[in-house]
Amino acid sequence: MPVLRKPPDVFTYAALAAAMFAALAIGLFTGGTSIAPGDVAYALGHPRLSSDVGTIVWALRLPRVAIAACVGASLAVSGFLLQALLRNPLVDPFLTGVSAGSAAAVAVAIAAGVAAPFVPPLGFAAGLGTAILVGFLARRGGGIDVERLILAGVSLSALFSAIVTLALLRLGRGGGDTVLAWLAGSLAGRGWSDLGLVLPYLGAGCLLAAAAVPALNALRLGHGLARAVGVDVARTQWLVLGSTALLVAAAVTLSGVVGFVGLIVPHVARRITGTDARRSLVSAAMLGATLVPLADALARSLAPPLEIPLGVLLAFVGVPAFLYLYLRPQGARRLWGT
Amino acid sequence: MGHLSLRDVRVAAGGRRLLEGVSLAAIPGELIALVGPNGAGKTTLLRAIAGLAPPEHGEILIDGRNVATMRPRERARSVALIAGDAELPYGTTVREVVATGRYAFRAWWDWSQSDGDLEAANGALESVGLGAFGERDFETLSSGERQRAWLALALAQDAGLVLLDEPTSHLDPRHALETLRAIRGLARGATTALVVLHDLNEAAAIADRVAVLGDGRLLACAPPDDALDPAILERAFGIAFDRVSIDGAARVMPHGYRSVAFP
Repeated sequence: MPVLRKPPDVFTYAALAAAMFAALAIGLFTGGTSIAPGDVAYALGHPRLSSDVGTIVWALRLPRVAIAACVGASLAVSGFLLQALLRNPLVDPFLTGVSAGSAAAVAVAIAAGVAAPFVPPLGFAAGLGTAILVGFLARRGGGIDVERLILAGVSLSALFSAIVTLALLRLGRGGGDTVLAWLAGSLAGRGWSDLGLVLPYLGAGCLLAAAAVPALNALRLGHGLARAVGVDVARTQWLVLGSTALLVAAAVTLSGVVGFVGLIVPHVARRITGTDARRSLVSAAMLGATLVPLADALARSLAPPLEIPLGVLLAFVGVPAFLYLYLRPQGARRLWGT
Repeated sequence: MGHLSLRDVRVAAGGRRLLEGVSLAAIPGELIALVGPNGAGKTTLLRAIAGLAPPEHGEILIDGRNVATMRPRERARSVALIAGDAELPYGTTVREVVATGRYAFRAWWDWSQSDGDLEAANGALESVGLGAFGERDFETLSSGERQRAWLALALAQDAGLVLLDEPTSHLDPRHALETLRAIRGLARGATTALVVLHDLNEAAAIADRVAVLGDGRLLACAPPDDALDPAILERAFGIAFDRVSIDGAARVMPHGYRSVAFP
């Protein structure tokens, strides 16, 4: 470990931005229909182009890439916020039960025959509702008790998983495919309207996340010292819970349950840009917005016309890469930190 | 800046009284050493003054204002507390750690770090002799350097009142002395310091007054020669003390130190 530490310079962020734009470009140039890169670029420059290429680029690929970037950034930022607040590197953004609540609502809605357009809003509302319930159960004094938060999140997640299983059993063979696809994470069939539905919540979640950052920096030294330097720990806890609830519920509504991103990306972000919350939040968002569009492009192009579920692909590719990075003998000494 | 006044303070937790009837006043620039046996309420007293353990009776005033009514950031600009519960930050430079003391000087949602914050952090590092350590990883510091870095964090907080909980624990005599000198240097001018120490002679060496706490009550708060009275110490610690004079200054040691007999 180096004795001297220098803050990451502008080149680090330039490289992260370049990687992100490259991933977005790969997402745009990849798809079931093979289109020459030049035609894609031409269509991008001409939004009103009334050709098949224009439709594919503007109505299918561009919204999908944008959604992938939003999902990746939201999950990565949520994972980072919760890991920083709970000072625990094994926390993932689904800890608070948001995804399980959404999954249960989606499964029950499909089993009950709710019309397809109403399913995502129901999932979103259930996700937020679960976060509010978990926060209510975990509150103590003016703030949140971390152990109660974890217990409430894990218990409710178990309950909702049971509900999903029941719904799957009821739907039986064939009928359960929609629910299963949703549980495995997928961006298939998503468009601008889906993004428009959750965009205000994503924005609100980002604002709350940004507001929590200075306090999270002080919390690196523990709750006692943070309080002594003037941090309102209870306010920070509610900010983080509110922000992650909005971001995760929005992400889950767009993509279903995409695991791995929220757990792993914050670790990589801290390795690249250090533990300052301001830097890690930005780098985590950029890395999330790189990883998910890239994974989605891969999911679409590995076995066309079939799509590999995004969550499955990320686990198959990402977990070995992560284990290699962290568990090789000369790798990082610790998960927490750098 | 740095006026402290406690009036008949009682603090309880979990149905147990931790402090009872504590009254104390400190003037700017004064250094008070707080001594007493384990569990006497020393840390609780510091936490109460810092607004982290609200008293159920009595009041604590800093510069004439009641701590209980201050908002967290406002309170942090008046009183700095370095307790033993700070966690070792991973992957963080010494300067970043010290700059945490500037949290209360910005809006709580503000990401920026002003030149003033940086200057305060650098100045604090200089004043504890760690000027060249700013870019070092905090984890690579020795125990003595870490203690001084925590002290620098309290200095960066620029508060009139500084509370330190056992700043010399785990330190060898040389590093303890260096740390005590840094504390003594800080408690000149307007900064008031209340320092918990276990070594009674360290307390006698640096403090203007020594406060002896026993079973949640303040047994004495007086200049070292008066406070380190064997009768008061025996009441606090439950063992007999011998008092000696070194170049006219009173020093004490447990009576049993003459020869420790094995039963």
